Amino acid sequence: MESMIVVDDVTMRFHMNTDKILSLKEFVTRKIRGNIRYEDFTALDHVSFRVERGETLGLIGRNGAGKSTMLKLISGILKPTEGRVTTRGSVVPMLELGSGFDNDLTGRENIFLNGAILGYSEEFLKEKYDDIVAFSELGQFIDVPIRNYSSGMLARLAFSVASMVQPEILIVDEILSVGDAAFQEKSRARMTELMGGGTTVLFVSHSLDQIREMCGRVVWLEQGRIKMIGPADEVCGAYDV
Amino acid sequence: MAKDLPKENDTQPNIPKIFLIVLAVYLLLTVGFYFLAGDQLLYRVSRGDLEMRPADAAAVELSRDVTAEQVFSAKIQRLQSVSVRWGAYYRANSGTVTIELLRTDDMSVLMSGSFDVSPIVEGSVLTVCSDTPIEDVYGLPLILRLSSDCEPGSAVTPLIDSQAEEDGFSLSINGEPSPGMLCFAAEGTDYIWTGLHYWLFVGLLGALLAAFMLIIWLRYRSGRRSFVVNSLIAVKKYRFLIRQLVGRDFKTKYKRSVLGVFWSFLNPLLMMLVQYFVFSTIFRNDIPHFASYLIIGTVMFNFFSESCGMTLTSILGNSNLITKVYMPKYIYPLTRTMSSMVNLAISLVPMLIVCLASGVHFQKSAVLALFFFACVVIFSLGLGMLLATSMVFFRDTQFLWNVLSMMWMYATPIFYPESILPDNLKFVLTVNPLYHFLKNARSCLLDGLSPEPIVYIQCLLIALAMLAVGAAVFYRKQDKFVLYM
Repeated sequence: MESMIVVDDVTMRFHMNTDKILSLKEFVTRKIRGNIRYEDFTALDHVSFRVERGETLGLIGRNGAGKSTMLKLISGILKPTEGRVTTRGSVVPMLELGSGFDNDLTGRENIFLNGAILGYSEEFLKEKYDDIVAFSELGQFIDVPIRNYSSGMLARLAFSVASMVQPEILIVDEILSVGDAAFQEKSRARMTELMGGGTTVLFVSHSLDQIREMCGRVVWLEQGRIKMIGPADEVCGAYDV
Repeated sequence: MAKDLPKENDTQPNIPKIFLIVLAVYLLLTVGFYFLAGDQLLYRVSRGDLEMRPADAAAVELSRDVTAEQVFSAKIQRLQSVSVRWGAYYRANSGTVTIELLRTDDMSVLMSGSFDVSPIVEGSVLTVCSDTPIEDVYGLPLILRLSSDCEPGSAVTPLIDSQAEEDGFSLSINGEPSPGMLCFAAEGTDYIWTGLHYWLFVGLLGALLAAFMLIIWLRYRSGRRSFVVNSLIAVKKYRFLIRQLVGRDFKTKYKRSVLGVFWSFLNPLLMMLVQYFVFSTIFRNDIPHFASYLIIGTVMFNFFSESCGMTLTSILGNSNLITKVYMPKYIYPLTRTMSSMVNLAISLVPMLIVCLASGVHFQKSAVLALFFFACVVIFSLGLGMLLATSMVFFRDTQFLWNVLSMMWMYATPIFYPESILPDNLKFVLTVNPLYHFLKNARSCLLDGLSPEPIVYIQCLLIALAMLAVGAAVFYRKQDKFVLYM
C-alpha cells in the first residue's frame, strides 16, 4: 500500500505577538523599545500519521484542537514550522466553497474561474460544463452576474463546481449540504458518492454518526496532539464519553 | 459521472518542441533586430567629433587671392562632414567660396564644395559632406582649405576663436601662421565593436542556448528534474488559471461602466490632452512633436504606476483565496501585472494614432520601442513583487508608495524636456531606470534612431535586476504571508 498523505512529526506554531504589528512606525518604535513579544501558540505539536490509498480517515476533536490547521497544512495553504507534509497526486480541498467567486461575473464565467482556482484543466471544465450547470439547477440564471443570486443559488453553484471531480485526495470539512431540502439530499448523495469512490479522503466532522458511517480509521486531536488513533468505532467510542 | 483530474503525465510539457520554439524565436528576434536596428547597430556618433567653437573674431576677408588653411586631426573612424561658420561684414556679398578637405601626406582632396556667398549672413554655417564616409583618416592631420573668387569688398570671412590653441591644430592664412582656430566642426561615426561582430555574438549565444537546452533535456530524459523543467511544468499547469484571473481583472474593471474597455483607450488620450494644454500654453516649451512626446511618457508611466499599484495589493487583496486554496503565490502579482499589460497594449493604439497625427514619420526602429516597453513591464513586475511583500507586513507601504510614485513621476521627464534640469539635479535622471526606458523608447519612435546595442543590454539588465530582487524577497517571505492576513 502506498501512502497518499504522510504527516511526519509536524509542528505548527503561530507567533501571537500581543497584537500584530502592521505598520512600519509601530515596528520601529517597538523594536527600539525592545517591546516585541511573541507568544507562541502551538496549534499542532509533533503530529504524525499516514493515510493510505483509498482510505477514508476521519479527524475529530473539539474546537481549537488543530483540525482546521491540519487540513490547511495538507492542502498546502500553510507550511509547517517543523516536520514535513507529503501528499501524492491532486488534492482538492472542499473547505470553503466558492472561494474566488467574483460578484461581477456571470455564473458561467465563475464556473471557469472557480474551476481554474481549484486546479481543473480547461478541457475538463469544458467537458463537464453542462453537467455542472445541470447539477446546480440554475438554468437560465447561469448567464446572470452572480451578485443577483440568492445565497442558496450561490451555494448550489459552488457545490456543483467543487464536487465535479474525482481527485486523488479529497479534503472535506463537514459534509456540505446546501440549498433546499431536495438539493440537500442530492448534494449529500454526491458527497457520499465522491467519498466512496476509491478516493483517499480526509474527513472532518462533528457528527460521530457520519464518521462511524464513512471512515475506517479516525484520528482524535486534542490541544494539538494526537490523543488517539485507531479504528473508527474504538476512537468514536472513547471520544463520546 | 465524476472523472479523474488530469494525471501527472498529462501536464508534462513537450520539452523538445518548446526548446525548438525557443530557438526559433531567438533566431527570429536576433535577425529581426539586425534589420530593425539598421545602421545604429554598426555605427554610433563618433566620440571624436569636433564641436564648433564659439566665434569671437573674423579671420580674414576671404577674397580672390586669399586662402585660409586649418590643419587639424580628429579621432573619427568614418568622417562624414565638415562645417565652417562664416561672417558677412553685415553687407551683401557675391561670388562663391570653396571648402576643401585635404590629406596632408599626398595632398589629395577628400571632400570639397562650393557655395554661393550671397545667402550668407553673420553666423551662417556651410557644411560639406562626403558621399561615402572617409575611413582611413583616423587621427591623421588634415587640411581644411577655404578659398573664394570674390572681389575684395564683397567677400565673406570665416570666423575664428582667437584664443583657441590645441596640439596639432594650426591656422595659416596665405601660408603665414595665424593665431586662433577656425570655427569649424567635423562629424562622423565610429564602428561599434559588438555591432560588427553581431553575428558572432548571435551564433555564440545561440550555441550556448542550444547546449544548455540539450543538457536540460538529457537530464530530463534520465528522470532528473531541473529548475527549467519545473518552471515549464508550472507554466503549463497554471496557464489556464492565469488566463482566467487576468480575464477576471479585465472583465470586472470596466464591467459596469458605459464606455467599458474604451476607457483603456480614452484614458491616456485625455490625460495627454490635459497635459498638452497645460504645458504648451501655460508653461511653454520647444519640444518637437510635443503631443507625441507627452503621450509616450504618459502611456509608459501610467502603466508603471498602475501596475505597481495593483500588484501592491495583489497579496492582501486576494487574502480570501490565499487562506483557502493552494496555488503558487507568485501567480497573484503576475496576473495583476499581466492585466495591466493588457491595458498597456490597448493604450499603445492611441499612442500610435497621436504620433501619426502629429506628423511623426515612423522608421523601422519604431518596432524596437517595444523592447523598452517590455523592460518596463519586467521592471514593474519586480518592483510590484517587492511592494506586495512589504505590504503584507507593513500596511504603510501603500501610503509610502503613493508619495513615492508621485516623486517618481516628477523625476521622470514625462512632460518636461530633460534639458530643463540644472546640472546638479541631472543625477536624478541617471539613476532613474524609467528615464532610460522612456528616453530610448522615444528615440526609437520619434527620432527613428535605435540606441547603441549596449543600451539594450543595460536596460534589460536593469529590468532583470529589479525582477531578481523582487522575486527573491517575495520567495523568501511567501510562506509567511498567510499568517499576516
